Amino acid sequence: MHCAIVLESLHSPSLSLSLSLSLSLSLSLFMTVKWLMHWQPNPGATLNSQILAEACACAEGLGGAKDGRWRTAMTFYRPMPRDSSAPPADVPRDFLGLALHDRPDTYFFILRAHRLVLHADASIQAIMEKLQSYKARVVFNFEGFQYKLGDFRLRVGKCVPSMAETLRGIMMEVEYLPLSSIEKSRQILEEFFDIWQEALAKKSLPGHFIHIESNFADYGLQDHYTSQHTAVQYATCMAQLMAAVRS
Amino acid sequence: MERPGARGAADRRHQDRSRPAPRGALRRRLRPTPPLRPHRPPHHRRGGLHAPPLPGPPGPRQLEDSGVLNPSLKSRGNSWGLHMPLVCPDGAVVAYAWKRQLAGQAGASAVDRTRLALKAFTDQKRRFFPHLEDDLLNHHGESGIAKRLCSSQVLPMSKELVEGKTLADILKNLEHEVPNIRILTYQRRDWSKRASLLSSSVDENHVDPSKEQNLHNWKKLRSASVDQIAVIELLMPSIFRAVVSLHLAGSVNPDAVAFFSPNEGGDYIHSRGISVHHVFRLVTEHADKALQYYLSVDPNNSLPLLLCWICSYQTLFAKVCSKCGRLLMMDKTLALLLPPVHRPYFLTSSVKGQSSDLTKAYHIGCSSEEI
Repeated sequence: MHCAIVLESLHSPSLSLSLSLSLSLSLSLFMTVKWLMHWQPNPGATLNSQILAEACACAEGLGGAKDGRWRTAMTFYRPMPRDSSAPPADVPRDFLGLALHDRPDTYFFILRAHRLVLHADASIQAIMEKLQSYKARVVFNFEGFQYKLGDFRLRVGKCVPSMAETLRGIMMEVEYLPLSSIEKSRQILEEFFDIWQEALAKKSLPGHFIHIESNFADYGLQDHYTSQHTAVQYATCMAQLMAAVRS
Repeated sequence: MERPGARGAADRRHQDRSRPAPRGALRRRLRPTPPLRPHRPPHHRRGGLHAPPLPGPPGPRQLEDSGVLNPSLKSRGNSWGLHMPLVCPDGAVVAYAWKRQLAGQAGASAVDRTRLALKAFTDQKRRFFPHLEDDLLNHHGESGIAKRLCSSQVLPMSKELVEGKTLADILKNLEHEVPNIRILTYQRRDWSKRASLLSSSVDENHVDPSKEQNLHNWKKLRSASVDQIAVIELLMPSIFRAVVSLHLAGSVNPDAVAFFSPNEGGDYIHSRGISVHHVFRLVTEHADKALQYYLSVDPNNSLPLLLCWICSYQTLFAKVCSKCGRLLMMDKTLALLLPPVHRPYFLTSSVKGQSSDLTKAYHIGCSSEEI
């Protein structure tokens, strides 16, 4: 059975990168709707892993059963000039690579400024190594525990750079398993978020979770939720976390 | 593969031609089975080397001779999807279709089996003992409501619901009243193909339209094919997929209903299947009750009533509970966060005739008094 794959080709002429995309018949882009939320600390408050522990306890309080661990890795790439001079100015600098925890065979690329997202077989990373046109600058790991709450799946996690132990952010994924239409699941997920905020508010933590709507239409994505939507949400989430840390 | 049971039955049938069995009784085999021929070594028999010879099921010939398998029973034929004589793969011959149906549904729940048995008994009772009145009260379990219904008059049928009594008319009316719904119909064996295809489809809207529409667009079916429709699929895009099966292909008698997520696919998607999602499981349970209710209170219109009621679930993820005003709520008993999965099905009389109030929705916990 063939799958619909959304392709946005990187058509920047200065990029010497040629991406080979392998169509795998078993790859399904079919996904249930997911919302990503990140922790916004109160002004002046710092991040600490206590918040993470409280969020996990909250999930369990709502009847969640711990289901395992998860990890998503985000790579920031920087362009490598062919010669010793500085790279040309129009080369994209916000090139992100994403390995999603629930898509081990796939690797996602995002160019935020250009609103481009695509996916390729996970072996693309080996090709990137050989091409040496873009190198990984820094890798962030989003990791934590996942919980099953009836028809919901909750993942609470921290964002840490792969080479350090500093906590860069706290975020969570909420998935409503029966639906894959973003519009149809909106109300349910909003109400879940309200219930979640209520439960968490009792712990008097210095901050709160926020859900920022990503503009999927800009990336050419449809109402039917896919892993590329998740990739876009991660990119948005990362930008939010970096902004929160800076301020 | 050797089928010793079948062989045994054939042998016995062969012998009985010279010795007719007594009428009115199924004679059990009390004497040992005949000696085996050399090319069938004893250890191939089921049950081991020295297993005592089993009495064995009666062959069709004996059933005819004894009067059990009479021509009228044979002509009933395919009512349970089984052909007469009912020779099962293991060689057993079954006189009573419902018994094998129940045994065959090894995965069926006790509720399903009970329901099947009840239906079989009720059908047979209606057929053989028409002078005994149908006892509707026992189907409910809620005596207060049942009393109210018992005394109510049979009102003129709602025009919108029951304009024509044929399957095609019912589906046409439904499409007219509920424009969002996609109705697809299947012959019984076509459904399993469809169910396994569902698991690999990315988006139900991308299913090859030309193929689907021609095969399963009931409007385009010739009248002969309409008679073979046994499964109706109601797809509310992105919200639910409901599967209704009909008892007797082409009839207007629903006999089972189940709800699934539009994402779900696989062999378990059928009218007696169970969704992997809690919300759809609970809706299916509620739908079972609605189906039984409609069948007992208004059997002639049970299909249009049921289909209409199913369509009211298009607001499953949008309509707040009519009692507490919220969409999502934690059900204390089940410890699950759920939307209002109950829609009332009780028929109330109005100027238009009998109809269910399809405007309300309730959480399980909120619905105990309201329904």
